[in-house]
Amino acid sequence: MIAQALLSVLLGGVLVYAWAEYRRSPLVGALSIVAGLAGLYFVWMPSHSTLVAEFVGIGRGVDLILYLWVCISLTVMLNLHLKLRAQQETITKLARSIATANLAAAQEAPAVTAEQVPQPGPPAAADAHTSRQMRGQSA
Amino acid sequence: MQRNRSKSVYVICPAFNEARTIVGVLAGLTGQGYEIVVIDDGSSDGTRRVAETMAMTVISHPVNLGQGAALKTGIDYALSRGAEFIVTFDTDGQHRPSDIPRLLDALVRERADFALGSRFLGGAQRTPVLRRLLLRAATLFTAVTTGLRLTDTHNGLRAFTRRGAAALRLRQDRMAHASEILAEIARSRLRYVEVPVTIDYTEYSLAKGQRAGDFVMILLDLFAHKLRR
Repeated sequence: MIAQALLSVLLGGVLVYAWAEYRRSPLVGALSIVAGLAGLYFVWMPSHSTLVAEFVGIGRGVDLILYLWVCISLTVMLNLHLKLRAQQETITKLARSIATANLAAAQEAPAVTAEQVPQPGPPAAADAHTSRQMRGQSA
Repeated sequence: MQRNRSKSVYVICPAFNEARTIVGVLAGLTGQGYEIVVIDDGSSDGTRRVAETMAMTVISHPVNLGQGAALKTGIDYALSRGAEFIVTFDTDGQHRPSDIPRLLDALVRERADFALGSRFLGGAQRTPVLRRLLLRAATLFTAVTTGLRLTDTHNGLRAFTRRGAAALRLRQDRMAHASEILAEIARSRLRYVEVPVTIDYTEYSLAKGQRAGDFVMILLDLFAHKLRR
């Protein structure tokens, strides 16, 4: 009874998360809701998991839960991967904007002689990646 | 190469820790009338400083983003500067500057928007057997997924017209960009042509090149990209 109560609280948390996630990713949200509800059902009706398992040819209910858990975990990992990629795209746009802004600023700045070019060493944070174009050299 | 055309040719050179080779590569490109743009992709070995001393336009990513992101940065910059032709050129020393006029001439002669270098139509020095097999597999993969009939799908030497470059929607930061470019070419329905080029493999370029495991990651990247569309 104690285990059932604890698992119910945890699965209730999953349902709350799924509801919040549904707006951002309907597919992941819907899958999480289904997983949470199925989990709650089997926590309170454990014998039914064996019936379902036998129906689909797995045998034991605990094996069915284990297999489903693996599938859910892989889905969660995929979702995290997609989120990381989306964040990476944002970082890329930001870095590109910084790079082109630095170039534009360097092109507007007065030219410096070769002697004034900083020597190798740890770059300063503000202008570590500022580049400049020597006008009239290419072409 | 006509002088007036060269003035609007931008050669995009993505570079990540290429201080060893970039001097020779850029020296080979200078004096041809091209606008050379080096995209330093967050190098830590002084690549940016070396490129700047050679009087190039250098755009420096504050962090390493990947070759695909570097190419996108360079293409965007070239388009913003009014480029008529854009060439992508690796800085590990495996490409020959003398192949660029052939790509540009093919664009004009064939009225194409994309000219793609092919080592299998031209020459490739010391192509390792495993790499040859992987490239053949990539060719088959490209034919199945995009319908493009190509002999070399992962060659960094390419040329685009302004219209062609503007049609490319590039989102792959890392190595999957090569496959993405081909997918975008297919999607654009613009004309493309393959041009024989020579690849000079060196120990250095082979060490920096793709490995078998990279192709797995490329497939994963492309798969993840499809899911988010």
